[in-house]
Amino acid sequence: MAKPRAQSTEGDSPDRWEAQLRKGALEMAALASLWQGRLYGLEIIRFLENHSSLALAEGTIYPILNRLKVEGLLTSEWVEAEAGHPRKYYSLTEAGRQRLRLMAEAWISFSRGLSRLLEPVLEKQETSQ
Amino acid sequence: MTAEIEIGNYLTSLRTHLGPIAVAEREEIVREIGAHIRDSAEQSGAGVPAILARLGSAEDLAAQYREGLLIRRASLSFSPLVLLRATLRLATKGVSGVIVFFWGLFGYAIGAGMVLTALMKPFLPANTGVWFSREGRMLDTGVMFPPPAPPAHEVLGWWYIPIMLILGSITLLVTTFAIQKFLGVSQRLVARLQS
Repeated sequence: MAKPRAQSTEGDSPDRWEAQLRKGALEMAALASLWQGRLYGLEIIRFLENHSSLALAEGTIYPILNRLKVEGLLTSEWVEAEAGHPRKYYSLTEAGRQRLRLMAEAWISFSRGLSRLLEPVLEKQETSQ
Repeated sequence: MTAEIEIGNYLTSLRTHLGPIAVAEREEIVREIGAHIRDSAEQSGAGVPAILARLGSAEDLAAQYREGLLIRRASLSFSPLVLLRATLRLATKGVSGVIVFFWGLFGYAIGAGMVLTALMKPFLPANTGVWFSREGRMLDTGVMFPPPAPPAHEVLGWWYIPIMLILGSITLLVTTFAIQKFLGVSQRLVARLQS
């Protein structure tokens, strides 16, 4: 009886791992979305959907923005919109820009290293197909 | 149910579940989520139930805000209760939290014990102290009823008070800083822990 359960857990784990990976990258992605200028929450969500493969539960982004603001990496201001209600716009602070640069450098060197490591894995897959 | 009532119910539930967060911050969160729902409805034309489903339940959303805040505040706090509470929250998510929680509890118990027994020394001078055997092995420390009988002998006398006050205070401070450090590191992992 235990065997099918173990198999299904193994089957689920790549999805779970990918979800963890996306979540881990979300903080950096949220900061990156503001590099060009201020955006409000929904614009950040749309930006991430269009410019990355970070499909996310929409509720996830707001607590992250709140935390980044308290850490001093973002500032926010309420701006009256034509829609009839104000929107909360976020911008990077200087500390936020610096942190994002460091994160980007670390991410690029980390992913380059891992890509080299994974090259043989993908080559093998290609030849076996 | 009309869209406005659905939105109102969601925001009321969010406000309730945000509970311990300061009123001004709580209202700002509710206002922002309200703006998100209305903007989503206007821009995508999706129905309010679909938008609320994408946001997740008000309870889950509030929990994500609360968790980030609790751990962040605790990492700046000196209160053993706040620190242990935040550690206990992390203890439900991983083994490192469990270890730090019990180490914290142990550190506070030892530190508080040292300070308390130092304060009891003036009232129970014969029962409070550090006793060694004739061979130089430590037998007992603290407040003893009855005190160890000879040949065991007490070695600190009235020095017990300043020594235990200093050692106890250092233990309490080290425990506090160690938990703060752990929570500070964990802050960066909060997003991962929330899954």
